[in-house]
Amino acid sequence: MDPSERPMRIGVYICHCGLNIAATLDVEELRRFAETLPNVVVARDIQFTCSDAGQNTIKSDIAEFKLDAVVVAACSPRLHEPTFRRTITEAGLNQYMLEMANIREQCSWVHMDSPALATQKAKDLIAMAVAKASLLHPLETESVPVSRDVLVIGGGVAGISAALDLANAGLRVYLVERRPTIGGYMALLTDVFPTNDCSICVLAPKMAEVYANPMIKLMTYSEILAIEGTVGHFRVTGVTKPRYVDPTLCKGCINECSSVCPVEVPNDYDFNLGKRKAIYMAIPQSVPLVACIDTNACIGCGLCAEACPADAVKYDQQSEEFKLDVGAIIVATGWQPFDASRKEEYGFGRYRDVVTTLQIERMLNAAGPTRGDIVRPSTGEIARSVAFIQCVGSRDQTVGNPYCSRICCMASLKNAQLIKERYPDADVAIHYIDIRAGGEGYEEFYLRAQRLGINFIRGRVSSVEEGDDGLYVHYEDTLLGKTLMKRYDLVVLSIGLEANRDAEVVGNLLGLSRRPDRFFEIAHPKMRPVEAHIDGVFIAGCASGPKEIQVSIAQGSAAASKAMQLLFKGEIELDPTVAFVDRDKCIGCRLCVDTCPSRAISVKDTAFVDEARCKGCGTCAAACPVDAIEMRLFSDEQILAQIRAATAVKGEYPFIVGFLCNWCSYAGADLAGTSRIQYPTNIRIIRVMCAGRVDPSFVLEALRRGADGVLIAGCRIGECHYVSGNLHALQRAEVLRGLLKEIGIDPRRLKVAWCAASEGDILARKIEEFVDELRDLGPVGTELAAALPSGKV
Amino acid sequence: MGGEGFTEEVIRLAGEEIRTCIQCGTCSSSCSTAHLMDNSIRKLIRLVLEGRKREALASDSIWLCTSCLLCTVRCPRGIRPKAVVSALRQICEREGIRSKDASFERIFMDQIRSSGRISEVLLSAAYALRNPDAAVPIMEMGIELLSRGKVSLDPGSVSGMDEIQRIFREFENE
Repeated sequence: MDPSERPMRIGVYICHCGLNIAATLDVEELRRFAETLPNVVVARDIQFTCSDAGQNTIKSDIAEFKLDAVVVAACSPRLHEPTFRRTITEAGLNQYMLEMANIREQCSWVHMDSPALATQKAKDLIAMAVAKASLLHPLETESVPVSRDVLVIGGGVAGISAALDLANAGLRVYLVERRPTIGGYMALLTDVFPTNDCSICVLAPKMAEVYANPMIKLMTYSEILAIEGTVGHFRVTGVTKPRYVDPTLCKGCINECSSVCPVEVPNDYDFNLGKRKAIYMAIPQSVPLVACIDTNACIGCGLCAEACPADAVKYDQQSEEFKLDVGAIIVATGWQPFDASRKEEYGFGRYRDVVTTLQIERMLNAAGPTRGDIVRPSTGEIARSVAFIQCVGSRDQTVGNPYCSRICCMASLKNAQLIKERYPDADVAIHYIDIRAGGEGYEEFYLRAQRLGINFIRGRVSSVEEGDDGLYVHYEDTLLGKTLMKRYDLVVLSIGLEANRDAEVVGNLLGLSRRPDRFFEIAHPKMRPVEAHIDGVFIAGCASGPKEIQVSIAQGSAAASKAMQLLFKGEIELDPTVAFVDRDKCIGCRLCVDTCPSRAISVKDTAFVDEARCKGCGTCAAACPVDAIEMRLFSDEQILAQIRAATAVKGEYPFIVGFLCNWCSYAGADLAGTSRIQYPTNIRIIRVMCAGRVDPSFVLEALRRGADGVLIAGCRIGECHYVSGNLHALQRAEVLRGLLKEIGIDPRRLKVAWCAASEGDILARKIEEFVDELRDLGPVGTELAAALPSGKV
Repeated sequence: MGGEGFTEEVIRLAGEEIRTCIQCGTCSSSCSTAHLMDNSIRKLIRLVLEGRKREALASDSIWLCTSCLLCTVRCPRGIRPKAVVSALRQICEREGIRSKDASFERIFMDQIRSSGRISEVLLSAAYALRNPDAAVPIMEMGIELLSRGKVSLDPGSVSGMDEIQRIFREFENE
């Protein structure tokens, strides 16, 4: 049975996919063609290969024809590779003895107008797949034990929810919070929509539960400094900053120490509306209930230390480093409020009576700076008229935030109601563009606000001006079609939510990618709402975009359950598609060490790959000057075989061989297919895990065998799935272009393109452009012929 | 009357972003002459998107815009409402639709053509002659400005008149 002893026996299955493939490609001809390929012992065309019937056909063929490997020519491997791997495993083959030819997303769907050329291209794709399949080896997945502890970063409501669920399920949790107390923004709000129940009343018990739970180690006033390792074993280093109060001694009475403190500073927990002392407690319900000294404000007078009955103030307290070994990490780093002073026309920071949503929350809060009164900060008098201005820093491209912050409509509806209930005679108006009240009970909440007599004015406010007797708001009532001006005592800017800048460090340590709106990107915008791109890392709450409390809690629980799924078994399977080193060839040059984005390679005498850490990008294999590093899947010989098969029959001019990275460009090419974006048939795409995998020898081999051009496409710069693989690809391509010039080949025959998974149109356009460029250059070798004096080769 | 072609033309001249208008009214309420306009800038954009060419081109608003660009600076969708106004002016010009104030622009350009710059006094006088209704307030303001030395009777002269003539010729040949 050893494939090395006798020729491989391969089965090829060509899918009709109903008419998705069969309407454009001549599947019968493809089947006849596949039958002629070396090592193929059976070829079939099947209506729906992924159906039970289709899969059963493959299974019975494996038994009947004693197949060693299977080629499925159907949709993208990104869709059904897992399906068919399962199929062949059930029939007794190793799951890695499968290769797919992408004849749907990258052929039939993108060449609907040229069936003949598309069929020719599909033949090449099948021949390439068979060539690779002939060189496949069984790979064994290894299981390794993992840490069952989980790190939760961020102690807002999402982090609290995640920590409690994990702890209640029996996993040990480290909850790391940057500020002196957990609770996040929710702890500072007044009543919350849509039920108008008191925010801290529903949150405080959860905060206390976190503190009391023996499975949760709470680390407040702490930051993460370094994260190494991978899923199952993240080694985390962090630091707990000194609060200059011994948490084991402090009784949380706070009055004793803070009443003697002579320093008053604006209270950041009141968003600078009120004042606090240099020794302070963030909120009365702080968890842990321990005072903290603000070193920026403290003058070191020593009065608090004298006053403390428990002797808890310790001026010599040091920061403490901690190290954790966790199996999974939940990122719940939350959001930051939009800086309202950036909208200069609204006067925040200039006019005292212009405040933000968060400030009005504190004003409405009975424990806040005004004890629940709605006052004009300039005079301290009760505000008789209040305007809410919506979409401040949201839906606004002038400040770079085109997105809707999702919660501000409801927050203003709620605050307007609270004000109207407290001051029935007050004139309360909401200036809005659209009211977005799309949650359960939200529209009813809107209805309630209207019934209370709140004035809804449709039109975005263009500016706020301060007059002698109040604030003047300029707007167009777009329903009346009139530009108007209205006077108010108090203006509340309904500020949007932004990605938390303080979380960028954590994001960089983990290698999380960010969306254009700067929030962390989840693995799939719909199907994988709490997973990061990095194995073992989950994202919950506003770290991945603005969310209301209810959704943040749900996401905290969802992330916890994902972490449980991962860690409960106590072991995880390692992907065997990693790099390995041929020790006889290795010269110990360390080039691979510098190249590896996962820091998985170390060198003693020769290089060594830590397989648990290796992500299989293959950048090292391409970089190795003596070809001592090889990939277990996507090996040099497999890729070279694909190149040779692609160029065996050069059925088209210009003829392009493309190397597309699995995560972005190949996905982009798939998207071009699902979007039915049409482009020329001239390209034969070879999937690699990363653009950094492309060895210069691949490019040279393709050109030598008659390809007119080679395309290398990867993730956009800064968005590489392996951090820097595309940069290595770029660097290598530049050197390679110099080399091509040297040997007399036009360097424009090598094209490098960056394209996100969402940019199918860009990829299609790049291919189109390249075809045109190559047409201008002429067939490969034209330049060599032109260089000869006789004009002949 | 080819409403759709009209929309397409304005979009071609003033930018694709127009399609993303959310009718929030930031442009109109930022506009210093909005109170004089029959249709606000916001509504003008709606008329354009609806292909209501006749209403849009007949609107006073096109001619009341002072090009201060506050609308364009503040638009949350990155639309350039000023560019829409310019596009509509251009279409009016081509189709011979003039607002009642187009005479002012004609006088303005004639003065530039003949002397390279405008004289406030001569410009106002020429305009007042054609619009007797406006003559009295113009004279009142003119006397006040003259007495404070804010305007001069002498338009002065510019160098490079031949260059200015060339610009006019080239423009007209287009």
